[in-house]
Amino acid sequence: MKMKPFKIFLIFLLFLASQTVHSWKKDEFRNCNQTPFCKRARSRKPGACTLIAHDVSISDGDLTAQLIPKAPHDQDGDQIKPLTLSLSVYQDGIMRLKIDEDPSLDPPKKRFQVPDVIIPEFEAKKLWLQSASKEKIDGNDGGFSSVVYLSDGYEAVLRHDPFEIYVREKAGNRRVVSLNSHGLFDFEQLRVKKEDEDWEERFRGHTDTRPYGPQSISFDVSFYGSDFVYGIPEHATSFALKPTRGPGVDESEPYRLFNLDVFEYVHDSPFGIYGSIPFMVSHGKSGKSSGFFWLNAAEMQIDVLANGWDAEDGLLMPTLQSRIDTFWMSEAGIVDTFFFVGPGPKDVVRQYTSVTGLPSMPQLFAIAYHQCRWNYRDEEDVENVDSKFDEHDIPYDVLWLDIEHTDGKRYFTWDKLLFPHPDEMQKKLATKGRHMVTIVDPHIKRDESFQLHKDATQRGYYVKDATGKDYDGWCWPGSSSYPDMLNPEIRSWWGGKFSYENYIGSTPSLYIWNDMNEPSVFNGPEVTMPRDALHLGGVEHRELHNAYGYYFHMATSDGLVKRGDGKDRPFVLSRAFFAGSQRYGAVWTGDNTADWDQLRVSVPMILTLGLTGMSFSGADVGGFFGNPEPELLVRWYQLGAYYPFFRGHAHHDTKRREPWLFGERNTELMRDAIRVRYTLLPYFYSLFREANVTGVPVVRPLWMEFPSDEATFSNDEAFMVGNSLLVQGIFSERAKHASVYLPGKELWYDFRTGSAYKGGKIHKLEVSEESIPAFQRAGTILPRKDRFRRSSTQMVHDPYTLVIALNSSQAAEGELYLDDGKSFDFMHGAYIHRRFVFSNGQLTSSNMASPSLGRSGFSSDCIIERIILLEHTPGPKSALVEPGNKYAEIELGPLRLGGHGAAAVTIRKPGVRVAEDWTIKIL
Amino acid sequence: MKLTLSFISLSLTISSLIIPSHASSSSLPSNSFLGIAPQDEDYFKGEIIKCKNGSKTFTKTQLNDDFCDCSDGTDEPGTSACPQGKFYCRNAGHSSSLLFSSRVNDGICDCCDGSDEYDGKVKCPNTCWEAGKVARDKLKKKIEMYHKGVALRREENKQAKQAIARDREELLALENEKDVLENLVKQLEGQIQKLEQEEHLEKEEKMKEASNEKVEKEKSETEEKVDSQKEPLKTSDEEKMGLSWKSPSNQNEKDEFQSTEGLSREELGRLVASRWTGKKTEDQVEEIDTAKRDYVGNREKEESAHDEHSINNALQFNENTQKHHEKGRNDAGDEESVADDVGSSSTHYNIRLEDHENSSDIATPSHQSWLVKIQETAQNILQSVNFYPTPVPNLDANQVRNEYNNYTTRLHDIESRISSLTEKVKYDFGIDNEFYLFYDRCFESKQDKYVYKVCPFKHAIQEEGRSETRLGNWEKFGSSYRMMLFSNGDGCWNGPDRSLEVKLRCGLKTELTSVDEPSRCEYVALMYTPALCLEEKLKELKQKLESMNREQPWSHDEL
Repeated sequence: MKMKPFKIFLIFLLFLASQTVHSWKKDEFRNCNQTPFCKRARSRKPGACTLIAHDVSISDGDLTAQLIPKAPHDQDGDQIKPLTLSLSVYQDGIMRLKIDEDPSLDPPKKRFQVPDVIIPEFEAKKLWLQSASKEKIDGNDGGFSSVVYLSDGYEAVLRHDPFEIYVREKAGNRRVVSLNSHGLFDFEQLRVKKEDEDWEERFRGHTDTRPYGPQSISFDVSFYGSDFVYGIPEHATSFALKPTRGPGVDESEPYRLFNLDVFEYVHDSPFGIYGSIPFMVSHGKSGKSSGFFWLNAAEMQIDVLANGWDAEDGLLMPTLQSRIDTFWMSEAGIVDTFFFVGPGPKDVVRQYTSVTGLPSMPQLFAIAYHQCRWNYRDEEDVENVDSKFDEHDIPYDVLWLDIEHTDGKRYFTWDKLLFPHPDEMQKKLATKGRHMVTIVDPHIKRDESFQLHKDATQRGYYVKDATGKDYDGWCWPGSSSYPDMLNPEIRSWWGGKFSYENYIGSTPSLYIWNDMNEPSVFNGPEVTMPRDALHLGGVEHRELHNAYGYYFHMATSDGLVKRGDGKDRPFVLSRAFFAGSQRYGAVWTGDNTADWDQLRVSVPMILTLGLTGMSFSGADVGGFFGNPEPELLVRWYQLGAYYPFFRGHAHHDTKRREPWLFGERNTELMRDAIRVRYTLLPYFYSLFREANVTGVPVVRPLWMEFPSDEATFSNDEAFMVGNSLLVQGIFSERAKHASVYLPGKELWYDFRTGSAYKGGKIHKLEVSEESIPAFQRAGTILPRKDRFRRSSTQMVHDPYTLVIALNSSQAAEGELYLDDGKSFDFMHGAYIHRRFVFSNGQLTSSNMASPSLGRSGFSSDCIIERIILLEHTPGPKSALVEPGNKYAEIELGPLRLGGHGAAAVTIRKPGVRVAEDWTIKIL
Repeated sequence: MKLTLSFISLSLTISSLIIPSHASSSSLPSNSFLGIAPQDEDYFKGEIIKCKNGSKTFTKTQLNDDFCDCSDGTDEPGTSACPQGKFYCRNAGHSSSLLFSSRVNDGICDCCDGSDEYDGKVKCPNTCWEAGKVARDKLKKKIEMYHKGVALRREENKQAKQAIARDREELLALENEKDVLENLVKQLEGQIQKLEQEEHLEKEEKMKEASNEKVEKEKSETEEKVDSQKEPLKTSDEEKMGLSWKSPSNQNEKDEFQSTEGLSREELGRLVASRWTGKKTEDQVEEIDTAKRDYVGNREKEESAHDEHSINNALQFNENTQKHHEKGRNDAGDEESVADDVGSSSTHYNIRLEDHENSSDIATPSHQSWLVKIQETAQNILQSVNFYPTPVPNLDANQVRNEYNNYTTRLHDIESRISSLTEKVKYDFGIDNEFYLFYDRCFESKQDKYVYKVCPFKHAIQEEGRSETRLGNWEKFGSSYRMMLFSNGDGCWNGPDRSLEVKLRCGLKTELTSVDEPSRCEYVALMYTPALCLEEKLKELKQKLESMNREQPWSHDEL
């Protein structure tokens, strides 16, 4: 195909123009008004829903009903079919509400229910309802509700006419979460096309055939006792979600959940980017939280409604409680929703992860520092970068290779000129305990000589276009096709490609990066796959779009487990994600930009991900696009050291920016920042385990630790790492001061100097280039390792330091978790979990591992070399160590080796083992 | 195994009440002076030792007790306890080295004598002997090479010195000549003016009626012609600029939304991909390449035409000077033939010096006589002209004009040669002017499909087929003449202007060995040259070899 020269020239000009000003192509993506289902749904008025619950009964342990309209015919006089509703109840205060078309009435097509997201264990937690009580509603002529037990203290209520669902506290009948209280519920049932109807949708030259016509769903959800709502990633915007509609909202655009590869996304926008988790959490002054999750993978749009949005509609809503109303719209699928009662924020997260799964436990190396660039060009480059880290005594654990390492963007292959000896290269890194990550994307080059493509084609494993042919899109390799990851058989086939035999040049120290799995299709509508493309069983892409990346991530992760015979924890970084992705690895916030605003927005983005289960997340340190000034880069390292996922990455047009390239001082600062992460690895690893057991994220909002402290609710410049550390980012150039709010009544200790600050107030602090503000909370014990090595691998035997930050009653407690850092043996009890308690002048270490599992299989020879007591009165000269009746010296020492700051009471070489029970008494 | 170990440590701890400093950790060095350089050992011999940064003191028992006391790591040279610590490996048989404390007992053998790994987790064989031998052999080879290199450098410096002297001499001579010529030209100018005045008077009356209007008309016509020729040239230049670098205004951005709809699916894919890659789609690349090729082609043509021209001139010049030398010799003292010669000399001296590259031969002694000759001839003309009373015969007027033209041309040529020589000597050519001979030279290296051309003091380019990209213009030497910097090369999409760093190393031949692009559009090249074979460095290497030989106990055997 030839292009006319003029056209080429034009394109070239346009292409140049596109670089210069705003790079985000807003017009290439649909806004709500250009999205018919969204526009339609948003134009509905409260009370428009006329459905009533009919035939309410208990069956199979569920409360079931039929939803029928009050008037059984629509405007055209057609009979409206009833919908089926079922309400189930699960342990720990979870209510599930499903509404779908009635399969017995022969709908034209079975609507898509997202499989493999809800973990199998969840079904086992179902409570079989025996009965429902009927309740007359006050002031409503003969209106009734059916009430069922939800959990101790909570009930689920189905109001019949008009239909409404809510969860309430038994005591005082206080509502928690409700659905359809504003009568905005709408369910477009599948139907036969009428003669004069045109179901096609066109957008910027792309046509969506929409063979099944309109099938969207929308409804309102209200959160009670709520001052803010959070969640529904992924958006580059504030943590507390700003209203998108109603009084005071200028540009009204709902939060969009539609996985897209957005070139140079902008900060502070409700626009959808790489991933989607339709899970919202509310929180209010009462200190209580609740949650709502809609399991639906089609395009979703969510409005947060500003107070007073419904003023003119005059509907009667309970007014005693503060409330936030939201409006949820989806293009397809069914209503499969989960209500979480909380009441604490950590309870909500636990409840949500009991449905979608707990975050997987990463290997130790994966939570250390990663060095990436598009691209480290060849083996020599890799070797050089690797040795420079050693030369500058900067630890790092993983070196990454982006797309250019492949033979023409054929994944699982190597460019023979640039990487002639991939296995040797990995082995060289491995001798220093370092790992490598290569990229494997879902677009497969349509090249007959490429075995993977031939194989996939022959087996019919590709996603099909609307006509049934293998879908052919455009991505890095040019013409590409995409494996249909919805199909478990194809996932398993894909997973097999990671075996050492299939992935030539891979070694056990190689792990994987899944990029572009939204999926990104350069010539597709909105840079993704057409919605009428077809998956397994005739499922349309529109129905599962937001989960495609999730299935791809799953297939890759499972492949790595298989590769290691089930003995090696996988590491897979993904850009796209969906509810449940936390089970398969880490995600990052995609192609950000090297500017201060993007540094700032990384915090709310990571907080949101953590709150919605994705504990293992980070933003590209330095910013992917553009060249950061050294100061920004340093600040980014200082903040990034506290991200759960800590990786430096850069676009290939940027200047090299490895930490040693900006002069000695900046090298020192970046080394220091990276070392903060390494010194805290024992703490981080313990937090990853906490997330793995409870779902509570590693990096969490302040209000998760201080639920009743209103001043924290909209703070998204500071965050907690675990329960012990508060970190405040510095987001401006040449900052001399920072205002930091320290919550609670207890003291906080400067992480570097040990200086004490009062809680419950805003401190105006002086800021130096050396670090960003970080504080240890009084009453906590922080485990550290203060010896720096080439990588985390060499730190395994190094001794620990405990930093005890005493609270006002001279007490503190903390935990330490460790295991082999690599295998799945920890799932069978091969780990050490200690609890440290300091009170009455005595530190006690006790076992927290569950006794049934005992201490099978894992032990550690690590000792504790130093115990630092912050805010302990100086004076004591020694401590008694039991068992053994030995004495350890006490002296005044620094909080940070080689650092300055007030000297703290330090127990020198107590010599106790972390694996054992002991006590140390200050004499 | 583990049981017995813990039993030992248990029995050790029971034996004393206060935990002895070595019992709590299994990885204490057996020698408390481990990690200390021999020349440094005295510092650690007292009972109370100062941290080197003065922050604190520590006791003898705290030396290497695997607990960090000094913020600078003084007390833990032999363990990993202090982040700032440094571990000294003796490496007998090889050269000693200083490690970061982070390497001590990390399970990786760093010192060839294995002294950094003593906790028993890994066994490090002593490889200093072999490694030392290899290193010494390598060093010896390097020293040999340096010996030759230093000699070569000396020789080249000598040549450079001569070249400088030559250039300076030429410059002087040219300036001299310039003065003479200027004087002559001025005189001739006067003559011509005089002649013209006379001619003018003569013709004035004839002209008066005939031509006034006509001349006006012609003049305005030519002016118009020139203008209309200029106009299209200008626009085409602008177009070229627009095509290659400057992006059009925002208006075009709007156009994109409309235009993408008209694209084929493949075109759209390429277009969107190009946002991330910055690469033009293949078709576009071709298009641009052709455009560029044309442009470059033109430039090349121009240049080559120019080159030819200057070469021709140079030849002519050589011939002429040659002839003249002969003539000068032959005709010395022959007045008539000199006078005759005046006419023909106009052809002889129709010379351009511009861009004359290798013109050191002008500055030969014979040149002097040539200059003398000119003066003589010119004098003759002037005199002969003066002899004739008015009216001047036409023939003589023409002769004078010819001479005038020739001398002005010559003057221009000399002036430009002077300015290029002055330009040249202004550069910094290194400590011993060792880079003087690099001027006017280019060095090439072929890599894959690219040919890199580095022309010191001028520019560096990358050639791919017929298209060329400028990697940079000469900026300066960097890091004390160990690097040549070229900057402000052709712009890069979404990136910096191209630049090149040429690292210089001692070698026996001046050659460009590799060119690399570690960051987009930031190139790094390696060049070997005798200019970098410094005597001090040779001394340093010799000392290093001596110390290596000294430190290894088997040196006698080896010798």
